[in-house]
Amino acid sequence: MRTSRPLNRVLAWVLLLFVAAIATGCASDAELDTFAPQGPIARELHSRGVLPVFWIAAVVFVGITVAMVWLIWRHRVSSYEGDDQWPAQTHGHVPLEVGWTVGFLVTMAAVAVLMLWSLPTVDATEANTMEVAVDGHSVTWEPTVVVVGNQWWWEFRYYFSDQVDLADLRAHGDAKTLPPADIVTSGQMMIPTGEEIELIITSRDVIHSFWIPALNGKRDAVPNRFSPWKIEASDPGFYFGQCTEFCGLSHSRMRMQTVALSPADFQAWVDDTTQDATEPTDPAALAGLEVFSGICTSCHVIEGVNDDVFERADQASGAAPNLTHFANRSTFAGAIFNTYNADGSLNRVQLEAWLRNPGDLKANYTVPGEQYRGMPDLDLSEQQIDDLVAYLSGLGARPADWIIEASQVE
Amino acid sequence: MAITEKTPLELGPGDTARYAERPLGVFTRPQEGRGWRDWLSTVDHKRIGILYGASAMFFFLVGGVEALLIRLQLAAPEGSVLGADVYNQVYTMHGVTMVFLFIMPLAAAFANYFIPLQIGARDVAFPRLNALSYWIWLSGAIFLNTSWIVGGGGADCGWFCYSTNSGVAFSPSHGVDFYAIGLQILGIASLVSSVNLIVTCLNMRAPGMTLMRMPVLTWMLLITQFLLLFALPVITVALFLLMFDRLFDAQFFNPDAGADPLLWQHLFWIFGHPEVYIIILPAFGVVSEIIPTFSRKPLFGYEFMVFSGIAIGFMGWGVWAHHMFVSGMGPISVAAFSLSTMFIAVPTGVKVLNWLATMWGGKLRFTVAMKFAVATVAMFTIGGLSGVTHSVAPADTQQTDTYYIVAHFHYVIFGGGVLGLFAGLYFWWPKVWGHFLNERLGNWNFWIMLVGFNLTFGPMHILGLQGMSRRIDTYARGYGFEFWNMAATVGSLLIAVSVLIFMWNVVKSKRDAPHLPPPGPDPWDARSLEWSIPSPVPTHNFDTVPQVHGRDEWWHSKYAENDEGQVVRVATTEEAAQTGEATGVHLPSPSFWPLAVAVGLPLIGYGLIFNLWLALVGALLTIASLYSWAMEPVDDPDAAHDHHEEHHEAGDAEPDDEGDQP
Repeated sequence: MRTSRPLNRVLAWVLLLFVAAIATGCASDAELDTFAPQGPIARELHSRGVLPVFWIAAVVFVGITVAMVWLIWRHRVSSYEGDDQWPAQTHGHVPLEVGWTVGFLVTMAAVAVLMLWSLPTVDATEANTMEVAVDGHSVTWEPTVVVVGNQWWWEFRYYFSDQVDLADLRAHGDAKTLPPADIVTSGQMMIPTGEEIELIITSRDVIHSFWIPALNGKRDAVPNRFSPWKIEASDPGFYFGQCTEFCGLSHSRMRMQTVALSPADFQAWVDDTTQDATEPTDPAALAGLEVFSGICTSCHVIEGVNDDVFERADQASGAAPNLTHFANRSTFAGAIFNTYNADGSLNRVQLEAWLRNPGDLKANYTVPGEQYRGMPDLDLSEQQIDDLVAYLSGLGARPADWIIEASQVE
Repeated sequence: MAITEKTPLELGPGDTARYAERPLGVFTRPQEGRGWRDWLSTVDHKRIGILYGASAMFFFLVGGVEALLIRLQLAAPEGSVLGADVYNQVYTMHGVTMVFLFIMPLAAAFANYFIPLQIGARDVAFPRLNALSYWIWLSGAIFLNTSWIVGGGGADCGWFCYSTNSGVAFSPSHGVDFYAIGLQILGIASLVSSVNLIVTCLNMRAPGMTLMRMPVLTWMLLITQFLLLFALPVITVALFLLMFDRLFDAQFFNPDAGADPLLWQHLFWIFGHPEVYIIILPAFGVVSEIIPTFSRKPLFGYEFMVFSGIAIGFMGWGVWAHHMFVSGMGPISVAAFSLSTMFIAVPTGVKVLNWLATMWGGKLRFTVAMKFAVATVAMFTIGGLSGVTHSVAPADTQQTDTYYIVAHFHYVIFGGGVLGLFAGLYFWWPKVWGHFLNERLGNWNFWIMLVGFNLTFGPMHILGLQGMSRRIDTYARGYGFEFWNMAATVGSLLIAVSVLIFMWNVVKSKRDAPHLPPPGPDPWDARSLEWSIPSPVPTHNFDTVPQVHGRDEWWHSKYAENDEGQVVRVATTEEAAQTGEATGVHLPSPSFWPLAVAVGLPLIGYGLIFNLWLALVGALLTIASLYSWAMEPVDDPDAAHDHHEEHHEAGDAEPDDEGDQP
């Protein structure tokens, strides 16, 4: 029944945990850390929106906890046995209570001001433009990427020649039949540094949420709704993300990455990626193209191969990633696997395992002949898998070494 | 039995609801007895409270096993204990079970048992409706969980079950059908119960028990009932639409048919946010009873406590869209809901300081109940403050849907709600069962639960800020999530140990009870009316309905303040307490029809999912039972009075000899 010793022990525990928490919180190498902003939007959001209210909460927490511990220490008795003395019977004290009501009101008003001060950092948009050369002629691009959530991967669409804005897409209203884009890629979004990138976020099936913690907070991707968001990176770098709205079976394996490139590197990437797919030459890759045309084209598209005949796949999501430049992304399968090993070689083992039976690696849902969500088991032979790997690994230029290196999460 | 009568259950002396024949014949009304069958027909608010409590504790174990499965799956990266599909079902059912099948019914147990006792009544306003709400709740709870067996698994859409993921295309098993129909059934139970308890609070109070003299527990439970009354219709509408979407292709939420999937979110959270206060307010009430008792002081600022509770009840309706800050609402909506969310922190903060002020200058005796109560305040404060940090909408864009939120609401719901209700269990156990829970085991229970709780949910703050998403069945190596997830899993096992200790305590205390001195009517030297009657409470509650003169009526019948403001005893507990020996108190008669009505509802549910003919059977059973209920005589005064020949007239319903004593 004596409470002091266990109490001390628990307090020691709490203190220890607190110290450990601070230590690991600061020292950890967490790719999705929300306390490590890497661009001006995220930095402002962090310094105005997050940190001040954490300090206010910490002060109130310490105040209440200290008061409570003091009260317990000061006023505790072990028993009422034989004690007829009752303490002064205070029923309340209106000025005091009005005082702390007003105190809380003022505190919360301060928090409210902080909120109103930080809200524009995530909501205001800049009218920035940059020059991008597409097919030999220069266009003035308002940096915008249309972000489309699908079960369980992200599509990124770049419009240079026929630029679209939020109003256009809202008028269009349908995420399943978006206007044709100059670049359609998935899993890995390339952006130029130093530019505010407007994102127009939507979904083809269920609600997802797009989140690159280092560059900004998150925004939901709601089917047939088009929501504005923005990100900006100060320096070239590799920034991880994770779908944060529960979106069904493989929600946990729906990830994404944003790679910020210097404007020159971004231009080079645009030059590569606006081309049609590389024509295969070696026999294995040619055989792989055969397999692709026979099987994969019912869901996937490769520009120059089946974009002219492609009709949306018979699946709930209505689409699968565009593979035209498969090899110039350092990730595949919804950004859960690396396309290349740390030494720069093709991650053949993973790619083959994926083609062998995707459902083993990423839960999917299939009713044969009716519905597919996630890539189904295609029952490919080992020969077909080898050929497909030969074909896919030749599609597009290999990304820069630093990108391949940054993709490795250890 | 019109509710306008001053003391409607005071039908005068007679034998306890016993009678011989029913003139109407077919619908013979059962008699009150002591066997197991009598639990099926009971209309006694105390027995119904016990049924609620026992069932809630059962589902606490079910939800707890689900929680342990979640933690085992997440203990290490690339976990393979459950797999994605089962994990999604388990985390969904963990949430649904803990909210709808554990905390709400446990709070309902307290409400049923103690509202009548605290206001000096002999039962609730509508005893058979009270039984109905329990049986409907139980049938809904069983229905919901049978989806594991007959529905192809539990619902896999999260307790919030966002459209469009809740549609047949994306969740093809019957789990979501069971969710939609099961929650509607549970909603009926809560609605029935809320109406009943509101009427009880407003009409059944003992003479002199004005609203501003009601104990704070009763006040908080009353506010909770109003929240239920207005919140449940909203979720019921949403569930009804979802059910029609899934079963009959109604297209309410199909974006390709022009629907807006955000409609579901608004409907769900208009219910879902008040639901948070439905969970937490009863615990606030419990804490407000326990802290004064073990501080030997009255509650500091009764009026502020009551009105801050009411303020929370009102403001709770204006904050729902803070669950949707990243859904794509416009900036003005975001700002408005962000502001309203911040200001709901004011009345909650006031409550915390008032509890501390109650302890200030008191004599704090740390029984297990008091430890749980103070821990509730401490843990809720952490949950409340982490709530303030993400009431700032821009900050929330980083924190929402991460483990930071999981940490936050577990500090509120577990740290506030569950610890608070455990405080109540230890405090009122002797009142309900006539013996104490063992304090030594209780101490183990408390400390292990407190440490386990903090070890489970404390690290989740860090995980969330490190970017770990909610509702993920696994996480990859290398993101910095490994250590704290393992810590959380260890913590969850500690919570499991503490719950096992509690269960052992229940068994051991009962076994030891015959060898220990009984607690008597008022073991804690407490303040409200339930302590003025014997423990366990006699069937008729009060021998004579008390006359109330002020707040803390029972305390004032034991103590007074002298001219120097010192507390002096004016009567011993034995002198002041009632003996419980009154006989022939007229009580409502039992009935089987509430149970029969409730059995029909899940049949309708199964029928809607599998075969409409079965729904017809269920509907006929329910309607026939309602008809039989209506035909059942409300009571039989002749039979009830058969030992009191001087009271043989059926119309003798207004006794002059009871209920108005000074």
